[in-house]
Amino acid sequence: MTAAAGLGDPVSIGAHSAPSRLLFGPHETNLGTGRALSDRHVAYYARRAAGGAGVIVVETASVTSNDWPYERAPLASDCGPGWRAVADACAPYGTVVLAGLGHAGGQGSSAYSQEVMWAPSAVADVVSREMPAILDEKGISAIVAAFGAAAVVATRAGLPGVEIDAGAWSLLRQFQSGLTNQRGDRYGEDRLLLTRQVIDAVRRAVGSTGVVALRLSCDELAPWAGVTPELAEPMVAELAPLVDLLTVVRAGPFSTGAYRPDGHTPAGFNRDLCRQMRAAGGGRAPVALQGSVVAPDMADAALAAGDCDLVEMTRALIADADLLTHVRAGRPERVRPCILCNQTCRVRDPRNPIVSCVVDPDSGYETRSPSVSSAASVAPASDAIGSVATASGAAGSVSTASGAVRPGRPVLVVGGGPAGLECARVLAEGGRTVHLVERSARLGGTLAAAAVGSGRDNLRSAVDWLAAETQRLGVDVQLTAAADAGAVTTRLAEGWDVVLATGSAAMTDRWPHAGLPIFDPLTVLADPSVLPTGVIAVADPVGDGVAVNLAEWLATAHQREVVLICPDQVAGTQLARTGDLADANGRLQRAGVTRRLRTLIRAIDTDGIRVEDCWTGAPDLLPAAAVVDCGHRLPDEGLYLDITAGGGRVRRIGDCVAPRTLLEAILEGRRAAADLLGSPAPAGAVVAGMAGAGPSGARR
Amino acid sequence: MSGGSRYRHLFTPLQLGSLTLRNRIVFSAHLTNYATQDGRPSEQHAAYYAARAAGGAGLIITEEHSTHPTDWPYEKLIHGFHPEVVPGYRRITEAVHAHDVPILAQINHNGGQASSMYTRLPVWAPSPVPDPLFREVPKAVEPGEIAEIVAGYALVADHCMQGGFDGIELQCSHSSIVRGFLSPATNLRNDAYGGSLANRARLLLEIVAAVRQAIGPQPVLGVRLCGDELIENGSTIDDAVEVARMVEAAGQVDYINTSIGVATATLYMIEASMQIPPGYAMFIPSAIREAVSLPVVGVGRFKDPLQADRALAAGQCDLVGVVRGQIADPDFAAKARAGQATEIRTCLSCNQECVGRMGLNRWLGCIENPRTGRESTPAPIQVGRRRHVVVVGGGPAGLQASVTAAERGHRVTLVERQARLGGQIPLAAGVPSRAELLDITRNLVAAVGRHDIDVRLSTEATSELISGLAPDAVVVATGARPIRPWWAGSAEDFPTVVDVRDVLDGRVHPEGRVVVFDELGFHQATSVADLLADRGCAVEVITSGMVVGQDLGITLDMETWNVRAHAKGVTQSTDVVPMSVSGTESGIVLGLQHHPTGTDRAIPCDWVVVAGHQAADDALYRELQGCGVAAPIHRIGDCLAPRRAHSAIIEGHRVAAAL
Repeated sequence: MTAAAGLGDPVSIGAHSAPSRLLFGPHETNLGTGRALSDRHVAYYARRAAGGAGVIVVETASVTSNDWPYERAPLASDCGPGWRAVADACAPYGTVVLAGLGHAGGQGSSAYSQEVMWAPSAVADVVSREMPAILDEKGISAIVAAFGAAAVVATRAGLPGVEIDAGAWSLLRQFQSGLTNQRGDRYGEDRLLLTRQVIDAVRRAVGSTGVVALRLSCDELAPWAGVTPELAEPMVAELAPLVDLLTVVRAGPFSTGAYRPDGHTPAGFNRDLCRQMRAAGGGRAPVALQGSVVAPDMADAALAAGDCDLVEMTRALIADADLLTHVRAGRPERVRPCILCNQTCRVRDPRNPIVSCVVDPDSGYETRSPSVSSAASVAPASDAIGSVATASGAAGSVSTASGAVRPGRPVLVVGGGPAGLECARVLAEGGRTVHLVERSARLGGTLAAAAVGSGRDNLRSAVDWLAAETQRLGVDVQLTAAADAGAVTTRLAEGWDVVLATGSAAMTDRWPHAGLPIFDPLTVLADPSVLPTGVIAVADPVGDGVAVNLAEWLATAHQREVVLICPDQVAGTQLARTGDLADANGRLQRAGVTRRLRTLIRAIDTDGIRVEDCWTGAPDLLPAAAVVDCGHRLPDEGLYLDITAGGGRVRRIGDCVAPRTLLEAILEGRRAAADLLGSPAPAGAVVAGMAGAGPSGARR
Repeated sequence: MSGGSRYRHLFTPLQLGSLTLRNRIVFSAHLTNYATQDGRPSEQHAAYYAARAAGGAGLIITEEHSTHPTDWPYEKLIHGFHPEVVPGYRRITEAVHAHDVPILAQINHNGGQASSMYTRLPVWAPSPVPDPLFREVPKAVEPGEIAEIVAGYALVADHCMQGGFDGIELQCSHSSIVRGFLSPATNLRNDAYGGSLANRARLLLEIVAAVRQAIGPQPVLGVRLCGDELIENGSTIDDAVEVARMVEAAGQVDYINTSIGVATATLYMIEASMQIPPGYAMFIPSAIREAVSLPVVGVGRFKDPLQADRALAAGQCDLVGVVRGQIADPDFAAKARAGQATEIRTCLSCNQECVGRMGLNRWLGCIENPRTGRESTPAPIQVGRRRHVVVVGGGPAGLQASVTAAERGHRVTLVERQARLGGQIPLAAGVPSRAELLDITRNLVAAVGRHDIDVRLSTEATSELISGLAPDAVVVATGARPIRPWWAGSAEDFPTVVDVRDVLDGRVHPEGRVVVFDELGFHQATSVADLLADRGCAVEVITSGMVVGQDLGITLDMETWNVRAHAKGVTQSTDVVPMSVSGTESGIVLGLQHHPTGTDRAIPCDWVVVAGHQAADDALYRELQGCGVAAPIHRIGDCLAPRRAHSAIIEGHRVAAAL
């Protein structure tokens, strides 16, 4: 444990050696089959092991069958074969794979088990509002034994050890905290007793050479009765000697969202806490830093500063499984950045979405869609292509010199938003000569436009990466270059492939309007000074991050008086998925934004905005100087229609098919490229948006 | 057959195309979330439908089967377009046919009422109009894709025929791409599929023709139409009647089914809770039946066979859809026919475990039928040796434990300290808008009466009393009691800070300015607010959550609650935490903190009514530990942990099934 070690250096975890200090932490994936791990889990973890993860903690498994916190929550007694398969798949890379073991206590759910939840005291969880039953000594002993039994299953499956969960959703933390432990018995007097008993039982199961890791909440962000950093110091001092790895996290019953928050929380937010806890542990166990660490340089800085001995970079590894491969090769700039958006990697949601990533939609789909990007991007062959491309001239050049040495037909990509950029990137990586035309003066489309304001600026890094990669790969990019149907038809006639990624357009007639100016949010984000003085009404019929962030930004960064109008009972309903819903509403209120909830806009005229209550129909008139319409956009499909009217056959991708999110843009960009490269079409690839696509392309 | 005389229409046969139905009771299509993870029908599907067939339903129509890979709006949708579904179909149809009941398959494409979450494909719809719930801009389908949609229906209809179904129903009503095309709100096309009603109905008629061709002339084909979308610019009854005429004129359809509302906009009118009057949608089949000669199905909160019989007698419809009524009691039809209608476990229309679980991607259950959703698991067996079971507490948990134990052949003594059975249910049902909740205990009390259970009311159970009964097993179901919140001071100092139960049982009569604190997010706070507003109080409901009565959303009571609250002048405040109560000359002041901003607020008022967590009343359970009663002692329901009624029923059933 030398402080100067880097992310790519090995580290001892108990009697085992991890090949790097990069930790892929436990998280919900919904990849399971029933409560067992699936082949999708195996491929998911193996991809991260291959990419250099030093330690992987598999999705936390419940140690008892009546603990069933979400539908696909693994159950330890069902996980033996899956753990073995993960161990086998990761073995070639030397990764230390640990079974995550947990019990959600009163933060679970009775919906799947149809049984009561058990907790230290009669304190209902604030999210479910469901009262748990109080564990007695017999019940506690059974849970301790269940942790031990689960560790036996893990050990027999060939894993070196386990991680015990005392983090965001855990019975052990509930026992540790004054918020949830109001017991008068020995488990109340000694709140760490259960944790020590569980560590002891697990230690006996894995043996002296086995690994016992602990994920410990050291700040519940509820100082009136919860665990604080000050209270956590003696806890860490007591527990560190008992474990082989300690991951410092923060979260409590009121703040589960603070555990893996989106970009509104600064990256690396736990560094001070982790340093404090590492000192408290006195070097008795290596300590892992957790908490929105996504950049390799921050990880190295934290290691160098002595904040930690390992760094958990779970979301960064979801965004780029090969992160460490790039770092070790001395090209960290090629790491596809996590933008901390939480849009698709956060899957504790009743719909059971599969874990994935907006910038790498193959994540979570490793068995379904052969990756067309990550593996190739680190292979020497692609470097060769890169060097050819570099020799052919810089991006922005109209030169097509590289085309001569490349196989396949040249491709024209129309539109330099994320869909077009991703398509161009993958095609160039696959050896095609790619020409990309973008009508505006910059790349990135609506993604670049949206990268404004607190918590949203991270979006910029996705644009920058796509632009840099397309440049590196020799894509010929022309800005302020329009493509009309005639030009495209000419290219088609010359045998080129053409992909349209022309994006979206604002809807202009959403409401009857006269008098008040109505702005496109893209215009306002680019230059808020276009807004007149007076109250700005931000209309949000969608409920995603766009309007909420715009309203907050106008109120805080530009001191505007803002009213946000939405049809729902809270603002930003779709932010439930990212974990930002409650925080976003809190930020809006603190910023002084007036939320007009449950409100429909009926008409806009010189007197203001005529609205109605969604359910009662009660009318009102809201005075405002201008409206920013954050409603759904329409596909910009004029070019597509012109070309197809002339009999041309082109692919279209992203928002010009239907305006959606970054995920769909990247996914369809990738699919179109894979299709043109002739590689096996990814699962689900009904040729997105293609006219007359036959059922033969249907998902199987 | 007293039933035959009581119901003059319900049990008369009906010819439906080539099928002869033995009665007019339809178990019409509804989601169950019983499909396997990979979109196949399950054993549970077969057992579930078979139970209703065994219970005497005249016709069963399955939940929808998706007709195309672009359609996957919720996780557990049956992927009818996969040929692998056919063996599962066969299991379902064989299980239902064993009871000599016909079964149709509903096939559908949800169109724009979907997201791409599961498909990772663009959502298909007539026009790029985002759905109000899913809020994803769909792709306007191109001509080739329309042909693909039609072909998908034909393909799935063929799978259904291979699977042994007696026919097909096309869901064109509340969540369908066909509805999307029919509706002026979502169809903005200017080609042959948009504009006039004839154009908007073109897709429907193409699908009807393709499906009829796929299934041949014999099997039944039905079309389910929406009589009023209840959305802006949506289809209304005139459109529905006209479309029904077009469907009949096509000459390929055997019946018309009906519905009301759009599932992703006005679901609360489709699966109406007890807040909506029974029979509320019968204007739809009535109007359609006047226009066409095809048999017409009417739906809408039919709880009672007599009510269904009257709808038939009035000529409102030819068949009656009874869904929740048969979810709650699979033997609804058989009991009615046998003249045992009082034995029907009447649906409450509470929506808690059926509709409420659907919205949360969970398998379909029922608040009062613990077997719903579990039909494929073995039912409790009759006991070989009769034992004496003493149940303490006559709330839902104790009642259900008593009934299940008695059904299995045990001797049961039920001890209740109050003078009546039902626990907290009669209190909750005392609010006029929640009256039908009382059916849960009425049904259980009736079952207790049928089973020769020794009921001892007004009897306080003690360890001595229980020992004296010489039980072989004791079930403690002693319920819960209110807790005075930490911020509320003492009852002596602040007698006008009370619990919901104090109001509902008449111990106190709040007047003037009343603040209701909603800690539970369900009906407790909103019910008492309703009641007190009706009595003339000025009511404000506050919550520390983001929404008052949050879980009214899952039971589809949110809209009606808010409309009532508005009409009665009930105000609502969210994100506030009570911190203190203090006295003034003219009443009390409730101190609040608005937690997102940390600002304080004081509400002068006369009364504070707390809808808060209760404490388990487990004194007897503790007393019985080591008191010398040799029998095993079980604890169920609120005295284990105070929760909602379904937990009490489940635990009552489970403990008795295991005795």
